[in-house]
Amino acid sequence: MKDVVICAATAVTALGDSLGESWERLLQGECGIRPVERFDTTGYVSKVAACVPDLKPGRGGSRLAALLERTLDGLPAVPPESLLLVASTKGEIDLLERGRRGLEIDPRRLLAESVLGEIRRRTGVRGSGVNVNAACASATLALGRGAAAIACGDAEAALVVCADLVSEFVFSGFSALKALSPGLCRPFDAGRDGLSLGEGGAALLLMSRDRAEREGRPVLCRLLGWGAAGDAHHITAPARDGCGLILAVKRALQVAGIDAQGVDGISAHGTGTVFNDLMELTAFRTLFGDRKVPLHSVKGALGHTLGAAGGIEAALAIRSLESGLLPPTVGLRHPEPGGAGCVSASVLTFSGGILLSTNSGFGGINGALVLGRKEPR
Amino acid sequence: MRIYITGIGWVTPSGIGRGRARDRFSWGSGELPALSRRELFSEPYPRFGRLDDFSRLGLSGIALALSDAGLDAWQEKRPIGIVAETRLGCLATDIAYFDTVVSDGGALASPNLFAYTLSNTFLGEAAIRFGLTGPAFVANCDGGNDLGCLRLGIDSLRYGDCPVVVTGRCDLAPPSAIPIRDASTGAIFLVLAAGGEGVPPESYGELRWDSSGFATVDGAAAGTWEELAAACIAGGG
Repeated sequence: MKDVVICAATAVTALGDSLGESWERLLQGECGIRPVERFDTTGYVSKVAACVPDLKPGRGGSRLAALLERTLDGLPAVPPESLLLVASTKGEIDLLERGRRGLEIDPRRLLAESVLGEIRRRTGVRGSGVNVNAACASATLALGRGAAAIACGDAEAALVVCADLVSEFVFSGFSALKALSPGLCRPFDAGRDGLSLGEGGAALLLMSRDRAEREGRPVLCRLLGWGAAGDAHHITAPARDGCGLILAVKRALQVAGIDAQGVDGISAHGTGTVFNDLMELTAFRTLFGDRKVPLHSVKGALGHTLGAAGGIEAALAIRSLESGLLPPTVGLRHPEPGGAGCVSASVLTFSGGILLSTNSGFGGINGALVLGRKEPR
Repeated sequence: MRIYITGIGWVTPSGIGRGRARDRFSWGSGELPALSRRELFSEPYPRFGRLDDFSRLGLSGIALALSDAGLDAWQEKRPIGIVAETRLGCLATDIAYFDTVVSDGGALASPNLFAYTLSNTFLGEAAIRFGLTGPAFVANCDGGNDLGCLRLGIDSLRYGDCPVVVTGRCDLAPPSAIPIRDASTGAIFLVLAAGGEGVPPESYGELRWDSSGFATVDGAAAGTWEELAAACIAGGG
């Protein structure tokens, strides 16, 4: 297997138009969740979400185009033959909203292939492309597929782009499911009462180490392992024993060639729903035993960015690996008993250089990535 | 790695079929046949009638392929993956759901419909129904290759994600509000197995994929689903 490295990463979140700005504000414990202004929230459980500031509809009338433009803005030149993996659960869903309200739209933009085309147009990537839809684990699975293709020698480079919007479509749905927190979400808190939605995008350029060195690209971190597995349990609720997440993490560790003892920190999915967070803590307990592995969730600050979550969190993990810091879990007051000693409302430090990043989604799908600090050769 | 086709099943406007029933596959045109739980599942399955049309179609295709491969019955969960390609995905459900939102400011938004506004939800249904714990995702490809999902399924095996994968495509007819002309209607799924010590007894033949986007089954070229299904059935099973 070839070594896979991440050579470039951008992220746009409610806390900033760059990875650096989002990272710095996360470390300060800031929260990007604010009252929603782009649609009327009167009939919904929640009134807040982590929207990207000043995100106006772009080309074709969707905010997604504007989000992609910002996300791809800071990306260096990408090899044209790169694989293209996109992770967006609902794409330009705001156009469907406009269409159902009687406004004129181009219906072809409702297809996911239109988002692929938009990204090709902006990046010049010509390699085969696919949008991966695995609900809130979409970006995690896309990163894993890209890494696997490079590791197996199918490709030398893969561009993974993820983006999802805060839309009334999704907001109303989570409200109807009673999954939204009426206030600000509080991942891993004993009193958590639901998630807060967010929007954002990330772009990550994966390469074989050989290709990166040949081109003089910076190595930001290593992508060592990836895994995905299903619960086969319930459509919208996680398996309480975390069986799918455990399988996904075990697979990622196997690919990375390390055991659970080798994990130094965790970027958890941590949505703030009662069942997700409990499932994750149960899975981590099964995987790591009594060892208190530092873990955090960014969703109290950035909201749940759906299919983009895994990509944004992988980009942030690069900064964690560089600094040895895990940002505060914003919203945390009294940790869920299973998370006590692992999760904190303050910045956490972790030693070593291996970070586990996990996500789970509707349909019972789970994804895991093992990322390693860049190392001098 | 050698990869074998061990099951094939479909639902199209031309009918419902399986390889081992020696049915002939074609996409056809017009309405999809009615999908009855009794015809597709030997066990009671009350949820089937409550699924949205996209999920019911996709789940039926997967059920037929697994049945054809002799993998529909199970005792313990199995690391079988699923890769399903679609163009329209759950667009019809999206429209139906959002119409429940628009009608009354969101107060009557349907939580049941919303759960099916992710294209991958039916993979979760299949995973629950058949005890499948392998990686599962829906793919939207832009290469214009009708058989693109085969490459993705093959890769799932080559990358070691799972030893068996169900792969295929699934699309309802475009909603009347979305005039897209060049979309095939129906679902067709294959069961692919990584070869171990030898050829699986259920094998229809060895599947290969070349870089130009053509598949071969035991050397017979297949550039369309019709050719692929015909090559499978001609190959035995």
